[in-house]
Amino acid sequence: MKRRGIVDFAFMLPCLLAFALVILVPFGLGIYYALTDWNGVRAEINFVGFRNFQSMFTEPQFVYSFLITLMYTAINVVFVNVVGFALALMVTSGLKLRNFYRAGFFVPNLIGGLVLGYIWQFIFNNVFVDISQTLGIAALSSSLLSNKDTVIWAMSFVNTWQYAGYIMMIYVAAIQSIPSSLIEAASVDGAGYFRRVRSILIPMAANAFTITIFLTLTTSFKQYDLNFALTNGGPAMRFMGRAIKSSQLLAMDIFSTANSRNLLAEAQAKAVVFFIVLVVFSLIQVTVNKRREVEA
Amino acid sequence: MRKLMSLALVAALAIGLVALPAQAQDVDIHVFQLKVEINEAISNFVKRYSENTPGVNVTVETIGGGADYGGTLRAKLQADQMPDIFMIEGKGGYELWKDYILDMSDADWVKDTDLAYYSPEGAAVGFPIGIEGFGLGYNADILGKAGIDPASLTTFSATKAAFEKLDGMKAELGIDNVVSVGTSVAGGLWWVTSQHVFNAFYAGYLDYNDASVYEATLAGDVDQERLAAFANYLKMLYDYSDPDVLINGNYDAQIAAFANGKTAFITQGNWTDPNFEQLGAAFPRGFVSHNFLEEESTGLYIAAPSWFVVNAQASPERQQAAVDFLNHMALTEDGAKYIVEEAGMVPAFKSVTLVPKGDFSRALVEANARGGNFNWYFGQNPDGFNVNTLGPIFELLATGTVEDFIADVTLAFQELN
Amino acid sequence: MTAKKIEAQPQTKKAFPRRLIGEALVMLLFLLFMVPFFLVVINSSKTSAEIINSPVAWPANWSQLITNVTAIFTSPIVRYTSAFVDSLIITVLSLAVIAFFSAMCAWVLVRTKKRWSTAVFLLFVSAMVIPFQVVMFPLVQWFRIIGDTIRLPLLGTYHGIVFAYLGFGCSMTIFILHGFIKGVPLELEEAATIDGCGQARTFFNIVLPLLMPAFVTVLILNGIWIWNDYLLPLLVLGTSGGIKTIPLAVAAFAGAYVKQWDLILTSTLLAMVPIIVLFLFAQRYIIKGMVEGAIK
Repeated sequence: MKRRGIVDFAFMLPCLLAFALVILVPFGLGIYYALTDWNGVRAEINFVGFRNFQSMFTEPQFVYSFLITLMYTAINVVFVNVVGFALALMVTSGLKLRNFYRAGFFVPNLIGGLVLGYIWQFIFNNVFVDISQTLGIAALSSSLLSNKDTVIWAMSFVNTWQYAGYIMMIYVAAIQSIPSSLIEAASVDGAGYFRRVRSILIPMAANAFTITIFLTLTTSFKQYDLNFALTNGGPAMRFMGRAIKSSQLLAMDIFSTANSRNLLAEAQAKAVVFFIVLVVFSLIQVTVNKRREVEA
Repeated sequence: MRKLMSLALVAALAIGLVALPAQAQDVDIHVFQLKVEINEAISNFVKRYSENTPGVNVTVETIGGGADYGGTLRAKLQADQMPDIFMIEGKGGYELWKDYILDMSDADWVKDTDLAYYSPEGAAVGFPIGIEGFGLGYNADILGKAGIDPASLTTFSATKAAFEKLDGMKAELGIDNVVSVGTSVAGGLWWVTSQHVFNAFYAGYLDYNDASVYEATLAGDVDQERLAAFANYLKMLYDYSDPDVLINGNYDAQIAAFANGKTAFITQGNWTDPNFEQLGAAFPRGFVSHNFLEEESTGLYIAAPSWFVVNAQASPERQQAAVDFLNHMALTEDGAKYIVEEAGMVPAFKSVTLVPKGDFSRALVEANARGGNFNWYFGQNPDGFNVNTLGPIFELLATGTVEDFIADVTLAFQELN
Repeated sequence: MTAKKIEAQPQTKKAFPRRLIGEALVMLLFLLFMVPFFLVVINSSKTSAEIINSPVAWPANWSQLITNVTAIFTSPIVRYTSAFVDSLIITVLSLAVIAFFSAMCAWVLVRTKKRWSTAVFLLFVSAMVIPFQVVMFPLVQWFRIIGDTIRLPLLGTYHGIVFAYLGFGCSMTIFILHGFIKGVPLELEEAATIDGCGQARTFFNIVLPLLMPAFVTVLILNGIWIWNDYLLPLLVLGTSGGIKTIPLAVAAFAGAYVKQWDLILTSTLLAMVPIIVLFLFAQRYIIKGMVEGAIK
């Protein structure tokens, strides 16, 4: 028994060590810095208590970034999963080129968010506007990225385009792990396609839903690259009586606090709040989904 | 903690890799800069210098894109890769990095320029990389065809009249809009309006060293009458521009509209010269002032906006080699060739006699000789204030009112205090 | 087309026209998905001026692609060949280390039904939500402290960045493998133990081979991330050291005010090609693994 304990420990050691040194310790340091006046350059660091935490909630930009991040995350969780699941159904059905499609839908994932953001900025601002003017569609005659009410949706659209293929892969694995005998039996019993999807595929893939929703939730909440390259926070809008950026998600707000305003300690404080909120949301999600899994 | 460290060592060995051996023979000087447009020129210059200077090896690195310069420089500091020569863009950078900035008051290049960056204590610390300047750029061909003499555009009402006249002749002149302006946060053009055009408010109609308006503004005392006149002028620029470029456009879009002869004016500076050459824009160009008052003015906004500084924490040999390198850049024919011909910049050193070839740069040299120009102040605003606070306010004016703009700007400066 | 067994939709003659419409719609959707890549390809074959003036147009001269590629390969700033080798070394080593050590750790966590193992697992999972921004600046400072203490620099070295990737990558990998190992029948391991296999041999001889299909997923997900990652190499390797990854090289083309779009797009294309080829290659193994799973 004792020997087993030693082997167990030896097996876990590399991961635990890397995890502790790369994540836990810097994370702890980060929390400590949030309580100081650290600016990353000066060697002298003074403890300032919760001062950095108090100021952020009266800052219009931070409050709006917070709200818009929640909205963006909610939209993405729905969009990415619906599209990802639909794509998974397509590429597991009897289509001629299904393996080719499966690879193709996944390809947007292979490219970094920064470059994708620039490409899509160009598509939204030039290509879409150009097409709509030719066809006379008034709704698209100005860029979706220049309207504070549509910019978040446009960003979700791009994120869905990029991310749905990844989520699709997880659903494909789940669908293919369902015994084909089960599906054949159902169709022999006369269950139609949608009936089979609803009664067999979805319940059997409950495991996968826990993972996919968790992944979409956390990645959307932490979105930075795409946000930076696609909208850079724009367009401007009015909120709490101030001119602010209407698509600056939390991660970008933290970044801009640290890098463009040189307020590293304040940025660390925001990051700590950001982290707490994300943990709470993901714990709720995993708990709810796990309960569903058991019921299914 | 020791134990933890030795565990880390074990893990590192378990990964089975060997550290790269460090190498040090020559004096290596590392230059870190953010002007992508001079990247090639400075790389070539550095290569020439290293070949001709035994024992010194200079490398240059240019940063851009996703990472911002200050953040990267800070990461370099923490990674023990602090460059020997790096850039500051004014007071904010100086204050942040002053422990790492060498006093170069005794260096030879200092005597050859009026535009060195001086610390509050009076030490010459920053080597001016080049002179830059801006105003309201014009296409002389289009103005000529419309019968407008650029020399007559010296007051707000004259500029306004010219705008109205051009607007009425659009079809005839083949232009889409009168002026090419961008203010988009998303397109990365917030600096065009909230830094450059707004600098007219800080500095316009004042002596070059008169910072009174800027200092009062920064202290929260915003001259409402002056701001209202400026807002009026800015709104006029917006009204006569392409709304797509104004709200969504990026640098390329703003440049392309003017380069293709689709607008008569542009709110940009001399750094656009290489872009126009690249786009094959052959028409003669020049600048008029940003005239938001009725007082006559022809001055442009001219300054050395960025400086090379030497890392004061580097070894004495490296510091000396870095200063020698800067002297070479400022005082030799080879350096002048680099600054003017290869990098296409306007030199900040008096001994340089070469004349730049871009029209806007030449207009700047002429204006500099003529005098009566205005200083740059926007670089002294607190870090991030221009992009995070003024940027959205200037963008909102495109769809909002002058009254809101005046209130927003006033409040923004008051809240700084 | 050996995957017929797992199709969710049995083929019938009756459904033929509907199938045809379905095929056409999916094809259309697929083509729309590919439009942004098409734009990258055509714009990689243009000069900077062409891109600015007519970004949607067909390239005037395809040989410009060769000119752009040559410009990248000969550029002293980018050093594409050495960046490619560095990216390859870092990605391959990180993937091997992450997959191997995470599997060991996940296996122990699954097979140990104790309170602490659940706690450790939850710790790993909750770390997935820690935004990179919270730890990035403290991490670099901390790495320097470690490097100075053990006299083995972690910054600017291969082992340093591989170690960092193990720390950042093990959470998600353990999460995925944990779910997969739960599905591996315990009987197999028990049989091995009865046959006299020690714990380690059971793992290496019995469990590890069974994990191969999951490894493909893990390797691809981590591979894409590490290959495209920009911020961590920027912080850990820096840009002035000897080691430089492709994203760092690509970023050298982008400026704060001016963008060399011809070279950015071409270098993006060059960075994309290897990973897409690799993915298409690995795609066959994914399907193989899944088919085998279905047969079993």
